[in-house]
Amino acid sequence: MSSESQQILTTDGIPLEVSLKKAERRNKIKAFLLVAPLLLFLIITYVFPIGDMLMRSVDDKMVTEMLPKTFKAMEKWNGKELPEEEVFEAFYLDFRQLVDEKREGKLSTQLNYTKNGFKSIIKKLRRKSKNFEEGNYKEQIMAVHKRWADVEYWKAIKRRAPAFTGQKYLKGMDMYKNENGEIVSVEEDRRIHRILWLRTLEIAFFVTLFCFLMAYPIAHLLATLPMKYSNLLMICVLLPFWTSLLVRTASWMILLQQQGVVNDLFVGIGLVADDARPQMMYNKTGTYVAMTQILLPFMVLPLYSVMKTISPSLMRAGKSLGGTPIVAFWKVYFPLTIPGIGAGCLLCFILAIGYYITPALVGGASGTLISNQIAFHMKSTLDWSFASAMGLMLLSGVLAIYWVYNKLVGIDNIKLG
Amino acid sequence: MKTISKLLLAISFAISVTTSAFATTVTAVSWGGAYTESQKLGYGDPTAKALGINIAWVDYSGGLSEIKAQKEAGKITWDIIDVFAMDTINGCDEGLFVEFDFDKDFPPAPDGTPASKDFFTDMPSKCAVGNILYSWNYAYSTKAFPGKGPKTIKDFFNTKKFPGKRAIYKSALTNLEIALAADGIKPGKGGKKIYKALNTEKGVERAMNKIKELCANDNCVFWSAGAQPPELLVSGEVVMATGWNGRFFNAEVGEGAPIKQVWDGQGLDYEYFVQVKGGPNDANGMAKKALAMMTNTEMLAGSAKYIAYAPWRKSSIAIMEAGEPWYKDGKTNMVPQMPTAPQNTKNYFLVDPIFWADNGTELGEKWEAMKAGL
Repeated sequence: MSSESQQILTTDGIPLEVSLKKAERRNKIKAFLLVAPLLLFLIITYVFPIGDMLMRSVDDKMVTEMLPKTFKAMEKWNGKELPEEEVFEAFYLDFRQLVDEKREGKLSTQLNYTKNGFKSIIKKLRRKSKNFEEGNYKEQIMAVHKRWADVEYWKAIKRRAPAFTGQKYLKGMDMYKNENGEIVSVEEDRRIHRILWLRTLEIAFFVTLFCFLMAYPIAHLLATLPMKYSNLLMICVLLPFWTSLLVRTASWMILLQQQGVVNDLFVGIGLVADDARPQMMYNKTGTYVAMTQILLPFMVLPLYSVMKTISPSLMRAGKSLGGTPIVAFWKVYFPLTIPGIGAGCLLCFILAIGYYITPALVGGASGTLISNQIAFHMKSTLDWSFASAMGLMLLSGVLAIYWVYNKLVGIDNIKLG
Repeated sequence: MKTISKLLLAISFAISVTTSAFATTVTAVSWGGAYTESQKLGYGDPTAKALGINIAWVDYSGGLSEIKAQKEAGKITWDIIDVFAMDTINGCDEGLFVEFDFDKDFPPAPDGTPASKDFFTDMPSKCAVGNILYSWNYAYSTKAFPGKGPKTIKDFFNTKKFPGKRAIYKSALTNLEIALAADGIKPGKGGKKIYKALNTEKGVERAMNKIKELCANDNCVFWSAGAQPPELLVSGEVVMATGWNGRFFNAEVGEGAPIKQVWDGQGLDYEYFVQVKGGPNDANGMAKKALAMMTNTEMLAGSAKYIAYAPWRKSSIAIMEAGEPWYKDGKTNMVPQMPTAPQNTKNYFLVDPIFWADNGTELGEKWEAMKAGL
């Protein structure tokens, strides 16, 4: 009659369902404990830093709490002409406070990120403001330096009012939000990031393409040759892989420069005249050649490991069913290698997109990529929030490519070995 | 996160403490290579001996990101860092470095001149003490111009009289200055006029156009590592290159390469030491003590024995003059090789760190945009 009587009991009187759950739970905990070190590792080395970067790129509390009075006074300001006396007074009061706490240097750094030219005028203001008289701060501040009388600098301060901001992301696209809330592009002669993004993508794309075109035949040869030859070939592929990146880059410089080995050879066999040596270094040609060679193993290895598993009898079957060698290759062999192609291309592309030492050394005027810019802001300007924003933009670009790949080919269709 | 990194640092600290000897170890961080060697032999080792401490030299590749990260993690392991002028300003503003009371912290010259008067120019920030001065000058290949070589900064930009490729630094720093110097703004002594012009949009445009003119038709190679300019000259890739005088000196005197330096229109640039606030030897005063000794008259002259960079103190030159030939090979006179020597400073500019701290990012963007259009 009651549900209890219908329950199945184990020998020690506990309902079977509970007992089963208990055993299962123990197994689950065991399994979790087994993966816990890896999980912890991933959280500490990936999730935390990326989360931290995300926070840094949007967090702008520091300036907000440095200039509380100023931002309050600025609420009434229309943001077109120079602000009124009360804004200047509020700024002066905030500024004195910061000078007392020795934090005005940080303010100057932060404001200099928004608009260049703040560093020196804040230093000057600190010196002069000690002797300020009470009242009419507008006149006194404006007398310190002509930039203090320039409305653009006050607009720049106002732009830092929100505690959270997407300005850094806009800056990464050469845009900013002006005082009317419109998103506009920066001056034409400063639009550099868009050029760098496109250049980075272009170089990564072509390097991946060249890698693929060169690696496919090599990997095929490696997979089909008898073991004793293929081992030797494999060492040839791996040897440069184990050589330092800088050494390989420097070697290409010696080979490809205008007075270099390759050009000497061309002149020697009469291919080109001595005064018309082609330029193969310090331009994009140099970048493509050096990067393709450096990244080639990352394409060869996944392709090889996939091709190795394809049975030669499949091609024979294709041919015996009436296909020409080309048709058999295209209809049978090539589709089977797609997992390797996907893995190799993704690997090469992701590595190429973040490369910057090689392009900087051999790329000449076109050698600056977006990662150089990130390094510059990490190391020189210390604008870590901007560097984080650009880093995340790069990361989301890679994730987008991953997503497209997943849609087109399917991510479970990827094979590294 | 913070506690974990603290724990890791504590462990590594515990290990380093137990393995090192009981003598105090001051960690000095510098750029490595021949330069750190000159610092170690010139004043590091003598100072360590005199004070009875160890000075450990650690290499880094510049910038403030490492020390900022150390501070954020809550465990600072560096005491003294060798930095660029811009980094002393930014680091001082960020509160990473100790502010000095200059004449009190640093000893006077042997004749009693206070330290602040003995140093070549003022410091860019309160946290900096000068270490060496080096030059952005240019050199040409004596193979390309065996007879009459270029003599002035105008000749560097004159591709009609002196045809051939040029190598210039990859960033805007000092390139805009020499462009204006070649375009007719005389730097004279110090180059105030040049920076006045660069503070206007017109001046920047003028400088960019001069570079564009020089570099059109792939006529420029942009170098990024200091070893490149002498290499490019020797291999015949370019006929003239801007670069750092110490590197040219090594190639010209040390290796006998067929190149010659030109000092007209040179940019004097500086290296500084800073002391890290809260470093391991901050509280016990040892870092400051070591720093004061390393930058006294005699010690600074010591480093010029090993490298062609000028000591910051004017009084160091007298010691070098009295000891000529001062170079370690025992036959090269070093004073004429100094960027601060009178015959080399007839027409020069002092690289202005405040200007670059102010405008570096924006000019960098304009420079890249200009390069993209070449």
